Amino acid sequence: MSVGRQKLNRREFFGWLSIGWITFSATCAGFASLVFRYLYPNVVFEPPMDFIAGFPSEYEEGVDERWKNGFGVWIYKNEGTLVAMSNICTHLGCVPNWLPAERKFKCPCHGSGYYPNGINFEGPAPRPLERYKVSLSADGKIIVDKSKVYRYEKGEWGNPGSFINV
Amino acid sequence: MAKRSFAEYVANTQVWKSVFRHGPPDNARNRAAVVAGNVFLHLHPIKLKKSGVQLGYTWCMGGLTFFVFLALTITGVLLMFYYRPTAEYAFNDIIALREHVPLGIMRELHRWGAHLMVITVWIHMFRVFMTGSYKPPREFNWGVGVILLTLTLLLSFTGYLLPWDQLAIWAITVGSNMAKATPFLGHGGPGAALAKIGDFVMVSDKNDVRFQLLGGRFVGEPALLRFYILHCVFIPIVVAVLIAVHFWRVRKDGGISAPL
Amino acid sequence: MKAVFNFLSQPQISFTMTIILFIVAIQKMEFFASKKFGWILLFGTLAFFGWGMTDSVFFGTMSWPDNIPIGILIAIVLWSTWFSLHKGVENDKRIAAGEPPLEGTPENREKVWAWPNLVYTELFAIIACTIFLVAWAIIFKAPLEEPANPTWAPNPAKAPWYFLGLQEMLVYFDPWMAGVVLPVLIIVGLVAIPYLDINPKGNGYYTFRERKFAISSFLFGWLVLWIFLIIVGTFLRGPNWTFYGPFEFWDHHKVVAENNINLSEIFWIKLFNTGLPKNIFLREIAGILLSVGYLFGSIPLITKFWGKRYLEGMGKVRYYLMIILMLTMFSLPIKMYLRWLINLKYIIFMPEFELNI
Repeated sequence: MSVGRQKLNRREFFGWLSIGWITFSATCAGFASLVFRYLYPNVVFEPPMDFIAGFPSEYEEGVDERWKNGFGVWIYKNEGTLVAMSNICTHLGCVPNWLPAERKFKCPCHGSGYYPNGINFEGPAPRPLERYKVSLSADGKIIVDKSKVYRYEKGEWGNPGSFINV
Repeated sequence: MAKRSFAEYVANTQVWKSVFRHGPPDNARNRAAVVAGNVFLHLHPIKLKKSGVQLGYTWCMGGLTFFVFLALTITGVLLMFYYRPTAEYAFNDIIALREHVPLGIMRELHRWGAHLMVITVWIHMFRVFMTGSYKPPREFNWGVGVILLTLTLLLSFTGYLLPWDQLAIWAITVGSNMAKATPFLGHGGPGAALAKIGDFVMVSDKNDVRFQLLGGRFVGEPALLRFYILHCVFIPIVVAVLIAVHFWRVRKDGGISAPL
Repeated sequence: MKAVFNFLSQPQISFTMTIILFIVAIQKMEFFASKKFGWILLFGTLAFFGWGMTDSVFFGTMSWPDNIPIGILIAIVLWSTWFSLHKGVENDKRIAAGEPPLEGTPENREKVWAWPNLVYTELFAIIACTIFLVAWAIIFKAPLEEPANPTWAPNPAKAPWYFLGLQEMLVYFDPWMAGVVLPVLIIVGLVAIPYLDINPKGNGYYTFRERKFAISSFLFGWLVLWIFLIIVGTFLRGPNWTFYGPFEFWDHHKVVAENNINLSEIFWIKLFNTGLPKNIFLREIAGILLSVGYLFGSIPLITKFWGKRYLEGMGKVRYYLMIILMLTMFSLPIKMYLRWLINLKYIIFMPEFELNI
């Protein structure tokens, strides 16, 4: 063995080699995950998730379409309860149309049909329309909060917050 | 000295001879030189089997796909001069392309060219299948071709959003909502409901694969920009690289297929 | 007459007719690939479209700019299918007579110069293609509708035409199947073809008899499950994605009673006259058993009655991969028929996990 320069034996050589490769792969994986995370912005500029929908007394019995275009919400009032329904078809996210004559929502994309209360009964939709959180403000106006959803098939339509008594 | 024609005069200038290093391709030596010495023509072999040049055998569909791809690149670059990928301008710029710009068929050329490319690439695949040309030694190149076909569809799909009209936004809404249904990775897909710790949902509409594609929770301005970049830069580069691999392998695997 | 065509083009009927025609064509390929049938096909199609164009509804659908490519596609697909099979059958005759296929004759094996033989062919193809494209662009304006409006969906909202086969599948399958799993399997299946098909014959020339199984299964997927579904999705689906015949006016108020039920409801309520069990796995037990049985349990049966010689020829890995891909492919027509025959919506219905098949 030469003086001052220690030669690596076979075991040490492969030890260093694997450390090198592991470091290299980890660095590459780190960069890849950074790029992946880069694709998710920290802030998105999308419309607010809650809005005030006026007094409950302004609504008549049945489906109301006044917030559909601005906020994507149908208000449905039936036998003393009022709920806010999502206007996004549970199949592929199109916007169904309310057909008053036939008393149903019908999605133009793939023909899913829903009863006025949001239960699906025809077409490919796998589940009923989602409902948003509704509550009453101090001055008696309806607040619709779209960040909280209630789903029928999970048994959430009876939960407090999914409807208000009017 | 005999009087030379003008053509002969030009062919003997230093300029001409610096560009074309051989005479006209009317003899064996020059025919080989013209194909081998030209960067574009050297895509071809110098000689090939007669069955491989017959239209009845090849239908020229692969070549036409490549040509339409080039035509789409050129018309696409020209369209980019007038198009701004923002929700405010996109639709008006498309109208301007028809109303305020001379040669108002540029967008038509690009759109119908895109449809044509989808057709030619399908028929190319059909021909390759019917002649059994995917068989050894060309298995790998068939795989590259399938990826190229998929990318062609993705190119066309990303371009579909850019006019920012009703047709565009709803086609992409339906298409991108399928990404939502990806098992485990999309918040509406099977398995996503299982991935939660207590109340904390790991896969939601704010971090799933559709959000990554659209840059938002629905098809909005970030989605328009992302699709624009994918359509104009990212996918074309990948396609160009794979086309190079595809052509290279056609040559290396023995040229256009013929009976063994 | 128009009413007859409207009736015949209903998905149930036209899909069944397409499958029957396909099976007959595979069996009687000599006739279907003959010149005589080629002429019948050409004039039959021309006559049908020529006659159809006199109808304003039919004309309106066909001449909508975004539907033009599908007209072109239909023409090219009909021609290319007939032409390749015609050449295949001719080669089969030559091979049966002991001659090489047309592509393999000594004359065609000769080497020719790329310049001028190949480069001029390419030049003319490019020129023809350019003329075609420019003419198309001048005659038909690219469609442009109203500006994007996220709160109002047009009716019907259709994907680009090359995805309409997938969109048509969405009627029968949930998005995670029709939009993710099946497309991925199509791509995987296509890439896998050269590794599954180890038949050394038919490499580099048209043939039918030497590759009957490979060509039939590919053509089934291509013509019946892809092109046919695109045609249905483009021409026969109107507002609300309801079926409309080729000569039927798109009446937005056409009401179609469509009350589909799940297998679990048939199983527990109709068969056993009890309510649905609370436990979701118990509730869906019939569907789970059927699906697992279809995808895995049926393999030994298939092997026993049909696949033995393929298993021996291909080896285990290739054989089982092929069977699973084939079973996935056939799950689409099976689900379509279940929907039409017994109004079945889902075989497995677990909205709790978004897992519906």
